[in-house]
Amino acid sequence: KSGHSNGFGGRNRTERVADTGDEDEGAGPSGIHEDDDDPARRREIRSQYRDLINSVHQNREDMLNPANNKLIDVLEEANKLFANVRQAREAALDAQLLVLATDLGREKASQLHAEGSSFDPSAYAQHLLSFMGLNRLEEEDGNEDDCSDGYLPPDAWQRLSKRVESCFKTAPSFHYMLGSFLVEPPPPRQRIERQRKAPSKEAKRVMPIQLKKMEESHQEATEKEVERILGFLNKYYADNSESPIPYYDFVIDPTSFSRTVENIFHTSFLIRDGLARIYLDSEKLPCIGKIDFSVTSQNAILPDL
Amino acid sequence: MSQRSAGSGARRSRPGRSQVILDDDEPDVSSQPSSSQVQRARCSFTPQQIEQKVAEVVQFILIKDQKKIPIRRADVVKHVVKEYKGQYPGIIRRAGQTFEQVFGLNLVEIDSKNHVYILVNKLHPLPGEPISMCPGSPKTGLLFVILSLIFMKGGTVKEILVWNTLKKLRVYEGVKHEEFGDVKKLVTDVFVRQKYLEYVRIPHTEPLEHEFRWGARAEQEVSKMKLLQFIGELHNEEPQTWTQQYREAASVESNPR
Repeated sequence: KSGHSNGFGGRNRTERVADTGDEDEGAGPSGIHEDDDDPARRREIRSQYRDLINSVHQNREDMLNPANNKLIDVLEEANKLFANVRQAREAALDAQLLVLATDLGREKASQLHAEGSSFDPSAYAQHLLSFMGLNRLEEEDGNEDDCSDGYLPPDAWQRLSKRVESCFKTAPSFHYMLGSFLVEPPPPRQRIERQRKAPSKEAKRVMPIQLKKMEESHQEATEKEVERILGFLNKYYADNSESPIPYYDFVIDPTSFSRTVENIFHTSFLIRDGLARIYLDSEKLPCIGKIDFSVTSQNAILPDL
Repeated sequence: MSQRSAGSGARRSRPGRSQVILDDDEPDVSSQPSSSQVQRARCSFTPQQIEQKVAEVVQFILIKDQKKIPIRRADVVKHVVKEYKGQYPGIIRRAGQTFEQVFGLNLVEIDSKNHVYILVNKLHPLPGEPISMCPGSPKTGLLFVILSLIFMKGGTVKEILVWNTLKKLRVYEGVKHEEFGDVKKLVTDVFVRQKYLEYVRIPHTEPLEHEFRWGARAEQEVSKMKLLQFIGELHNEEPQTWTQQYREAASVESNPR
């Protein structure tokens, strides 16, 4: 009679479970004594085994703690129980408990192997939370098992990712910078080229007319601007009784470079036409001075370019 | 040259050159053609054509790597190499050289039995330097937590421990996370397919339990020493405090794969 798995599914047991190294008799049908077959007793043994197994499951973390020997207590309990086991069904439970215990033992042993400090995941988690910028609430119960103490900022994981990225040698993902490139088959392209050629001829015809217009307006604009600047200059002199203006104050527009260049350009017309003069003052800085029209244009000093 | 028909005839389209004898049935690339066949095969393709194929393979792998799912040799042959199958070893070797010299990447075969490749950066990232055009995904942080747990616990960790730790970081197995979505899927499926993690059943457990290990990609990409350094920073300790892990990290540094 090979071992049944008492409804504790998931385990495929084909070999006879009776052999546990103990000095007990085999669990074959030939070796059953009368009182060994007492169903009530057997039920009780099985129930005790199941309790033990459950307690191992429940208290697993506790038993792993290297500080105690609860695991050994469990094994001693199992030994006591096994003394009363006569048949395969109970022995199977014993074997199951043994598998659990050895597994636990292995894990406990692997903890011992580690020289140096052991690693505590809970502490690690706490450190991570701090790193990610956890905002702890004012009142703490002191019980940090609960997750309700504090909240993580929205960029918590970003912060962590940024820091740990440098541990990875990930190949950058390849993406086309300007989107995907659609390759068209050649024939349609030729058609498009032909279409493009037609409009360009028309465009050329239009061009000369436009250019003429631009040139005229360009000249007018210059004259207008020069007059405008002359107006500013005169107004300034009317207000400020003949004191010269620093050249740079006059032409520079602090907000626009192009405007500054235009101002210089137009001012140069004024000077060319003798409507203003430019000279270096006592500090060798250029100034714009007014021309007294009673004097001849010989007074105008051409700027040193 | 005589032509032996093999597998699907559709692959046989060629620009009117002398045919190549292919040794075996179409789907099975594992058997190498004999050297005489290779020589004959080489004669039929010009160096320019081979170069072209190499370039196509490089481009194929670059695009395939976007999702970080490993690339299978079978796919490369089926979609790119095609009738140049006999040249595959040379082509893939030169593609690897191109990756190294032009892109600074390593083409690594992480599974020599099934012939699966990944692309890994050849250069170590400098601190503060942006890793790619896109800013770091938060998933990197999550992955790092899991990988570091596994490493510090000796290389294997029970799934339950991972979830217990993540719980403390406000990431829950059954709950949709703001940034990660379906975390369970991400951790047990996506990361596994990308070969960052291995998700292995523990035999004889009831109810069924799993454990996590580092995947082949993690082994290639992640610097254990840097990982340990960060852990040290967090705990305000020297990395040498964890002697066993330090030893392992140091041995990996001195024996690059």
